[in-house]
Amino acid sequence: MLPEFASVIPESKEKALTLLSSLDNVKVFAGGTDLLVKMRRGESYSNIIDITQISDLQVISEQGGLIAIGAASTHKAISTHTIIKSQASSLATACGWVGSPAIRNMGTIGGNLVNASPAADSLAPLLIHDAEVVLESKDGMRRMKVEDFILAPYKTAIDARELLTLIQIEGLTGYREGYKRVTKRARWAISRLSIAWAIQEADGLYKDVKLAIGSCTPMPFRPRVIEESLRGKTKSNDTIRAAIEGILEDIKRISGVRPSFVYKIPVVKDLLSEILRG
Amino acid sequence: MKKVDFTLNGKSTTIEVEDNETFLQALRERLNIKSVKEGCSIGECGACTVLIDNEPHYACLTLASKVAGHDVKTVEFLGDENLLHPLQEAFIEYGAVQCGYCTPGMLLTAYSLLLKDQHPADVDIREAISGNLCRCTGYIQIVEAIRNAAGICKCNS
Repeated sequence: MLPEFASVIPESKEKALTLLSSLDNVKVFAGGTDLLVKMRRGESYSNIIDITQISDLQVISEQGGLIAIGAASTHKAISTHTIIKSQASSLATACGWVGSPAIRNMGTIGGNLVNASPAADSLAPLLIHDAEVVLESKDGMRRMKVEDFILAPYKTAIDARELLTLIQIEGLTGYREGYKRVTKRARWAISRLSIAWAIQEADGLYKDVKLAIGSCTPMPFRPRVIEESLRGKTKSNDTIRAAIEGILEDIKRISGVRPSFVYKIPVVKDLLSEILRG
Repeated sequence: MKKVDFTLNGKSTTIEVEDNETFLQALRERLNIKSVKEGCSIGECGACTVLIDNEPHYACLTLASKVAGHDVKTVEFLGDENLLHPLQEAFIEYGAVQCGYCTPGMLLTAYSLLLKDQHPADVDIREAISGNLCRCTGYIQIVEAIRNAAGICKCNS
């Protein structure tokens, strides 16, 4: 049984924002695949606002190389969308691996971000696409980078009166892009380790390298210094070896040495080597 | 209480539900549809799978108020003891039913797959049923049943 609450199902964003500003002890329901599990375990709210019927929040569109993803877009919708598959293929792949088919029909990217699990599959791909979130309330709107939005595992910068309405990412063309993860089984699994990449090369040189590593540090991260150091470098064994060493140092610096690293570090090393070689 | 109008197995249906009621509770307790099972209650086992607009959803994590205006199918849609659906026949023939607890959800998920893909490869069948756990069969018989039903079954929504 779920704890008692009153629910409202607004049909517009404006209505949802008004409700958010006026109701007490309120929580947004954006798919329920995490929220209802937590509520079964005792988390309780007086009011639930179900935003899954607001069609404006489910639109995925592209303009001038920027892709706008409505926060109530399901993982299924994102993983099968033409724009996402062609300009953010790592995100399409990652959303296609979240949970199970039923979870992907129910769960949304906005819910995934606000839940802020460090193992969320969408995070690493969002980072390589320099994702920003749009937070709206009755009093206004603010934007911030996903890196700044997620403060710690399961903790974000969202205010109780705000609604995450949109995720904006940069579309990438002319890159080889992908997402890989390590899990205890092939499907219906939580990532133990994940890497998203988008790499542009020409004439044996790295032109632009974007990497994001998930489930290894408290928040998926981009090794930006290493990315920058690869720009214009010859694609050689030495370059790759040095880059990997640098990234492993970053991981250890961010997380400290953890018991799981006996396993994770060699795996990250091999995955990065495979990815950088292409 | 909220009034919810929806289509259940092809019939217009109206129920009154509590705000905090799951669709699983509504189906079992208000509509007496006991084929939709409560397993884990946290969206992991798939025993409560129903089709909403022909796509699998876990009824345990679906608020009952959310199905308003939608088309819902439970295993009763597929067939009954007098006239089983080819998928149900295949599940019996290939030994894909043992304790039976996962079977309604498994059948619905398979039906949803066959609506989209009349000749799925084994890898697609496995992907489709990855959110429906079976602790008896080891899945081999279920995959065989779905593969063999696919050839003879014209799935109509």
